[in-house]
Amino acid sequence: MQRRGNPARLVIALSVATVLAIFLLYTSIAAQGTPSLQPSQLPGHHGRVTLGGKVVGPVAGNAHDTPLRFRLRDRNGTVTVPVSYRGTVPDMFKVDREVAVDGALVNGVFVAKANTLVTKCPSKYTTKKS
Amino acid sequence: MAELGRAALIVSLGLALYAALAGFWAARTRKRRLADSAGNALLAALGATAVAAAVLLSALIRHDFSFTYVADHTSTELPLGYSVSAFWGGQEGSLLLWLLVLTGYGAAAVLLNRRRAPDLVAWTVPVLAGIASFFAFLLVAVASPFATQNAPAQGAGLNPSLQNPYMLAHPPLLYLGYVGLTVPFAFGMGALLAGRTDERWIVATRRWTLFAWTALGVGQLLGAHWAYVEVGWGGYYAWDPVENAALMPWLAATAFLHSVMIQEKRGMLKVWNMLLVILAFGLSLFGTFLTRSGVVNSIHSFTQSSIGPWFLGFICAVVAFALALVFWRLPLLRSKTRLESLVSREATFLYNNLLLVALCLTILWGVAFPILSELVKGESRTVGRPYYDFFLRTFGLPLLLLMGIGPLVAWRRASLRALRRTFVWPAGVAVAVGILLLALGAGSSAPGLIAYTFSAFVLASVTLEFVRGTRAAGSFTQLVSRNRRRYGGYVVHAAIVLLAVGIAGSSAYGSSSERRLTPGQTMKVGRYTLAYRSVAQRRGPNDLEVRAAVDVYRGRTLIGHVHPGKNTYFAEQQVSNEMAIRTDWLRAEDLDVITDQIDPNGTIYFKALVKPLVNFIWLAGVVFLFGSVVALWPDAREQRRLVSRYALPTPAEA
Repeated sequence: MQRRGNPARLVIALSVATVLAIFLLYTSIAAQGTPSLQPSQLPGHHGRVTLGGKVVGPVAGNAHDTPLRFRLRDRNGTVTVPVSYRGTVPDMFKVDREVAVDGALVNGVFVAKANTLVTKCPSKYTTKKS
Repeated sequence: MAELGRAALIVSLGLALYAALAGFWAARTRKRRLADSAGNALLAALGATAVAAAVLLSALIRHDFSFTYVADHTSTELPLGYSVSAFWGGQEGSLLLWLLVLTGYGAAAVLLNRRRAPDLVAWTVPVLAGIASFFAFLLVAVASPFATQNAPAQGAGLNPSLQNPYMLAHPPLLYLGYVGLTVPFAFGMGALLAGRTDERWIVATRRWTLFAWTALGVGQLLGAHWAYVEVGWGGYYAWDPVENAALMPWLAATAFLHSVMIQEKRGMLKVWNMLLVILAFGLSLFGTFLTRSGVVNSIHSFTQSSIGPWFLGFICAVVAFALALVFWRLPLLRSKTRLESLVSREATFLYNNLLLVALCLTILWGVAFPILSELVKGESRTVGRPYYDFFLRTFGLPLLLLMGIGPLVAWRRASLRALRRTFVWPAGVAVAVGILLLALGAGSSAPGLIAYTFSAFVLASVTLEFVRGTRAAGSFTQLVSRNRRRYGGYVVHAAIVLLAVGIAGSSAYGSSSERRLTPGQTMKVGRYTLAYRSVAQRRGPNDLEVRAAVDVYRGRTLIGHVHPGKNTYFAEQQVSNEMAIRTDWLRAEDLDVITDQIDPNGTIYFKALVKPLVNFIWLAGVVFLFGSVVALWPDAREQRRLVSRYALPTPAEA
């Protein structure tokens, strides 16, 4: 089989290289990712993060006229942080439910980006509480 | 009853293990009767699994809360249909469904192919049975759906989001797709083990792959429609890891469906096809692992479950085994021919494959990014929508264009002159549509405008193919019946165009508005004015339903009423948003009205979205299914051709 001088191989190699280059360029410049943290890991982080944890009451405000205020606790810990949020509140948001929200720590309060609050769907594939 | 279910699963495990071990030995020593016995054991495993499934189904319908699974996923107030759908509403039940579908596929594959390709089936049975053994083992030892308890008076109920007719069809279809990819994988591995690396394994599994791919595609679209109408956020795809888990194997299978045609026609890409089938099956396992391990955060949140590590181990073993086999058989996987020109049908298929795999792997990178960043940097990081959208545009738009180019380019080598002649019409239509859309103001979104222009190009090229073919064949029905796979494929291409138009329209040209209203007040969104009239509540079979009455105006003309609201489910103690959708069929446009917050005094915080052309996405699903059925439909002429090309005498006949 004649393999030398096959332009197909060159072009395919170039196509793969182009795809890889686009990928590497984009991921190195734009998609560094947002850190996913729990309240105890927040100190020292000043940029935008995704904060995950369990909702601790009391829950105040309606998220539209006045910000929704609550605290988030580590999934398996005691450290909490106050959260201030505006926007759509998912149906399943309530105390003790696990949620995730994007935002940044400002003067000790986690100020969330609007409409980023998501709750976790609780009933499927979870381990049973013993 | 639970004992019967447990016993049936143990029998199923025993039969699957026997089929795997005896099948392996039979294939190795070429013992035909033992190989038949292994195949029969796989058929019997289907019977045993069906018994276990019947036991669970019966317990769900009877609300037998002595079954822990039944108590955890149903309540006496749950309607019958949703009690049935609770079968796949939880981990143990969905694993049982997986095993049922897998043994079903395995039995059908054995029955249909054991006479046609006995040497191939002899090696395929142990692979299928090995995979079935793993799932049966999980069900027997790790996550049994037949655990019992002292029956409580009431069950926990089913997640309200899953109480939707779509949930009766969406998960089973996804399972048909995920598990269906096992068949081409098992035949591919069987071909490697048997040392029969010609095209027979591809011919034997072509319809299986197409069926699994169709089920996965339709299942995803149903899931998207469910998310759109039920979850009440106005979107249909969120690039969530669990959604991506179904998209990735579908993309890999799409690449596979195209590249096998090159192997069939030109005897090329044998290694690539093996790698694609491993990728597709590996990704379907990875998706299952992802949804059950809790390793990545998802809005679907299938947090830590006991079967995650088992799955990870199984995926590693399967991929290592498969890659080792490919490496071992590399000398048998050499191409018969080589690519003659970069401007040929096979070259466009190759570019399409590169783009599909690139898109698939970038999504995989995004899904795995939190795990990888945690391993490397010690801090879990996630990539969001902009990352996925960027790669969808970068790789998806050229893919769309290729869909229009590929069918018009000749096999082996196409001359520039012929290309010019072929493309003049589709290119002309695309340019005209582009200019027209620009004049209509579609230039506000460059990706949207490009998507529409490319879509026009693809539709024109598909139409041209049908017109030219019909002229040559004499009639349209003759044309399609002569080559169902090809013309079914073109219909699927038209469906993908509709999908692209729907996605581009609803995401690039949509509008939204939100406002707090008291009865009598109005708000504007796009060309619509919404007037909130009143709020009322009523008791449903298992919930309390609150609905707002909203009049919809276009200009000063009243065009209809919508009733968005919320349901509060008693047993599950959960609230569910019930979005109201008003469809303008002429424009394929939706007006979505959501009651974000309902205050006791009747004040409601409304959110309204206008989604132009969104209904093209659902229409695409119907066209996609139609095209797939055309391609899947048995074709006696093709079958005769394949038999004369591939069927070899069986050892007994010889």
